[in-house]
Amino acid sequence: MNLRLPLRRYALHGLHAFALIVACLVVIIPLGFLALNSVKLEREFLTIPPTIFPSQITFEHYQRAFGDPKTVRFFTNSLIVAGTTTAVSIVCGMLAAYGLARLGLPAWGLSFVVFIFLFIRFYPRITTVIPYFLLMRQFDLLDTVWAIILGHLGITIPFVTWLMLVLFNDLPPELEEAGMLDGCNPWQRLWHIVLPVTAPGVASAAILIAFLSWNEFLIAASIARRQAVVLSIVVAGFVTDKGIYWGPMSAMSVVMIAPMLIFALFVQRYLIRGLMLGAVKG
Amino acid sequence: MERTASIASQRHSRRRLRLSHDWAWLLAFVIPAFLVVVVVQFYPLAYSLFLSVQDWTLTKSQQPEGFVGLTNFTKVLGDSVFRRAVRNSLYISGGAVGVELFLGISLAYLTLGSRWSMRVVRTILILPMVIAPVAAGTMWRMLLNSRAGLFNYLLNFVGIQGPKWLASPDWALVAVILLDIWQWTPFVLVVVAAGAAGIPDELLESAAIDGASRWQAFQKVELPLLTPVLLLTAMFRLLESLLSLDSVYSLTFGGPGYATYTLTFFIYTLGLQNFNFGRAAAASWLFMAVAAGVIALVFWLHRRSDIS
Repeated sequence: MNLRLPLRRYALHGLHAFALIVACLVVIIPLGFLALNSVKLEREFLTIPPTIFPSQITFEHYQRAFGDPKTVRFFTNSLIVAGTTTAVSIVCGMLAAYGLARLGLPAWGLSFVVFIFLFIRFYPRITTVIPYFLLMRQFDLLDTVWAIILGHLGITIPFVTWLMLVLFNDLPPELEEAGMLDGCNPWQRLWHIVLPVTAPGVASAAILIAFLSWNEFLIAASIARRQAVVLSIVVAGFVTDKGIYWGPMSAMSVVMIAPMLIFALFVQRYLIRGLMLGAVKG
Repeated sequence: MERTASIASQRHSRRRLRLSHDWAWLLAFVIPAFLVVVVVQFYPLAYSLFLSVQDWTLTKSQQPEGFVGLTNFTKVLGDSVFRRAVRNSLYISGGAVGVELFLGISLAYLTLGSRWSMRVVRTILILPMVIAPVAAGTMWRMLLNSRAGLFNYLLNFVGIQGPKWLASPDWALVAVILLDIWQWTPFVLVVVAAGAAGIPDELLESAAIDGASRWQAFQKVELPLLTPVLLLTAMFRLLESLLSLDSVYSLTFGGPGYATYTLTFFIYTLGLQNFNFGRAAAASWLFMAVAAGVIALVFWLHRRSDIS
């Protein structure tokens, strides 16, 4: 009996470690396969059995991709869209949340606002994509990054407002009373008192929005034709092409994924905090 | 006494003055966000309601061709592809979210604690979540390629002859579910891990003192405490999975045939490939009705969990 007990514990520990290793491999192997594919020679695709490790590493797919000025522009487009969307939605969302939190809305009013936010986050986006497309056509904004940015803002501003509303409502009112007595206007109170305290939350929201906008496909696909193409459209575009362009397809996927993966490693804490705010506390 | 009262009332009135003065500021803060929401959300929503009762195919006419009552709705409901898409959506979202909850909870408990090894594991496990769904779909399309894909190659190692994933209607559906699980189990993991970390240790200790096994403590103490969060997470995932277009688009493009058409994909092809705006709008409002039900449920759960 005394001997068996530690044995069982070892077995459980071993099983635990094994399960976690398997889980990590399930995440890493597909990503590794993608990365290897992006540096594989053309003739090594679609061999039987598959060539997992390339016989020699080639960067021709990346060279060809970035040798094309269009790819460079699409990458820049993605950066512009994600950057602008993040900046504008943080500013607008933060202001709106502060306004809503301090306007002294009755409880039912605030609940109604929260319901609207929930609704905007979760109704089938496809419903508004066509009317939005028509609206942009009317204003002659089709195929511009501005139309994509505005479309993203429609999702991200309510989302940021909602996250910030949670943060601002949690603040003790005493915090701002001193500022009020000193005659600070709401802008000064927000800037000098509230923001420094809620900065980590704001960072979380910004990071979440950056991911969302960089990865977004539906709105971008409905707006972009030739000029305003972003990376998500390029990557999705390989589907309808004839044949399988595994090399360029892998290279473009890596170009799209890698910055976000690296970014995620650095801002992991904020990312998780933001997800928690958005999913549970909201 | 009187003096204090008068000071208090003075301060009170001054504060009221401030607030009424602030009111303009605060309203101005809300306006930009409000304008964006009206232009990008409310107006298109209203317009799509209008479209749903209009006859309009862009390839035939530049303008809506008139009111057609509920024809669009009956046409959509009678469409066998639509019904198949509804069924597919239910299979995909239901199947994926069920597995995600199970795996997410298990992994959250397997990675509890702040040891460095657990932190590394958690960091790795959340990676799929930050990948663009279109890229994840593309990646899995290569993995599941029945000839040169890695997946069947690995299955071969353990002696399983893998199916022709993306060429077979049933397996393609499974592939879409697998992708959803791969990408979004981490979300459940994150939420459950945070929820579990928030449960006071004393509760578990007292359960242990009462002679409860770890499993009993989980079942009787932690699970009930986590239930509201889990329900919310399940609803969130269900909605997001129902609404997602990207992964199906890049993994199977709805194929083979109509085997992996989801509701969103169906509406997308109807509206933005065939440009049948009227019917796409009708289909999306049918979809909306279902989603609104789920959203109302989420909202209700939300308020309940706020109160408790």
